[in-house]
Amino acid sequence: MNGTWEGMVLNEFVYNIAIWLDDTQWSTLLHESYYMYAWVESTHVLTLMVSLGMLFLIDLRMLGYALPDVPASKLAERLNIPMLIGFTVMFITGILLFYAIPVRTTQSLWFRIKMVLLVACAINAYLFHKRMNESVSSWDNEPRAPSRIRMGALLSLGFWSIIVICGRFIAYDWFDCRPDSAGFIAVLSGCIDGQTRF
Amino acid sequence: MPVSFFSAYSRTIAASAVIVLSIWVFYGGLSAAVYPGLLGFFEWSETTWFGVIGKTWGAAFAFIEAIHLIALAVLGGSIIASDGRVLGLVLTDVSARTVIDRTHTLFAWSLAVLLFTGVFMACGVATKIYYLQVFWFKMLALGAGMLFHYFIRKPLYQYDLSELNPVVVKMTAVSSLLVWFLVAAAGRWIGYSG
Repeated sequence: MNGTWEGMVLNEFVYNIAIWLDDTQWSTLLHESYYMYAWVESTHVLTLMVSLGMLFLIDLRMLGYALPDVPASKLAERLNIPMLIGFTVMFITGILLFYAIPVRTTQSLWFRIKMVLLVACAINAYLFHKRMNESVSSWDNEPRAPSRIRMGALLSLGFWSIIVICGRFIAYDWFDCRPDSAGFIAVLSGCIDGQTRF
Repeated sequence: MPVSFFSAYSRTIAASAVIVLSIWVFYGGLSAAVYPGLLGFFEWSETTWFGVIGKTWGAAFAFIEAIHLIALAVLGGSIIASDGRVLGLVLTDVSARTVIDRTHTLFAWSLAVLLFTGVFMACGVATKIYYLQVFWFKMLALGAGMLFHYFIRKPLYQYDLSELNPVVVKMTAVSSLLVWFLVAAAGRWIGYSG
């Protein structure tokens, strides 16, 4: 049901961690606390305005759609700190949201896509900054960055937009693990016990 | 020639009066008289294309919700960059005029997307949100936010900021940040209500 043997072992490992987290008292308290959970989730969503807001401004600058007369390196450098503050808050609240509902979340197709894309975003950000720092002196004041940098900005916009979409979809139960889940859904979601724990 | 405080800020004062009047209408007797008559409009909006699509295809509704959030991120970015610059928190070595002018286009586009996707989502759950106090609070905050942005913040920021009272300028920037975070928070809270 879970694909390869390695996949089964990995899913079992992740599932056991989720079960262990779910059995802790704080996980239950957070999940069952109406206001605390809502505050954490709201903070996670509202921090979009800071983290993705800054990131999208930088990406749109590279594409020539925002602040084209501000040097690209200056904009990227100056908005980096508020962006990282936003991402830190988003990361902490994201971990808390996972901690509140670990078993269902680890078996969520959308959560898994989101995690893969987060890794892709981190790699893209590293390459983007590396390429920018190597060549920025030759195009810093140009309204549009060179094509390689623009590609990085486009990928960043695309990946993060899909991450937001996946994050929103986690709340829905369309592809939750069930006894009658289609084979490929069960494989991709790493279904082990479906919804025996929420 | 020196100008009086009132003539320099006449539009600001007028818009503030409109906002105060709106709040008074909302929480005064007038809204209670209008409210029952709006139910028919909300019931009708669920029968429109937006309403039917939103109610029938959950995935379409969720996708539009995500687009709403992406537009919110862009709006947040434009507001934080421009008001943050006015407050001296970000982009301090870039002229405030440049940041304010260049981010305004992004703000306008993201607000347009937010309004469009917001109407779509509202149509899908119209008869539910009609009874939610937090929805009406959000509409009040959104109306106040747009009035504030276009009739207070924008006209004020068109002046040379160095010639304006710095306390007024900074208060405007703080108010702008607060009002849009309030709109976003109220929107998120709709999801927890009902």
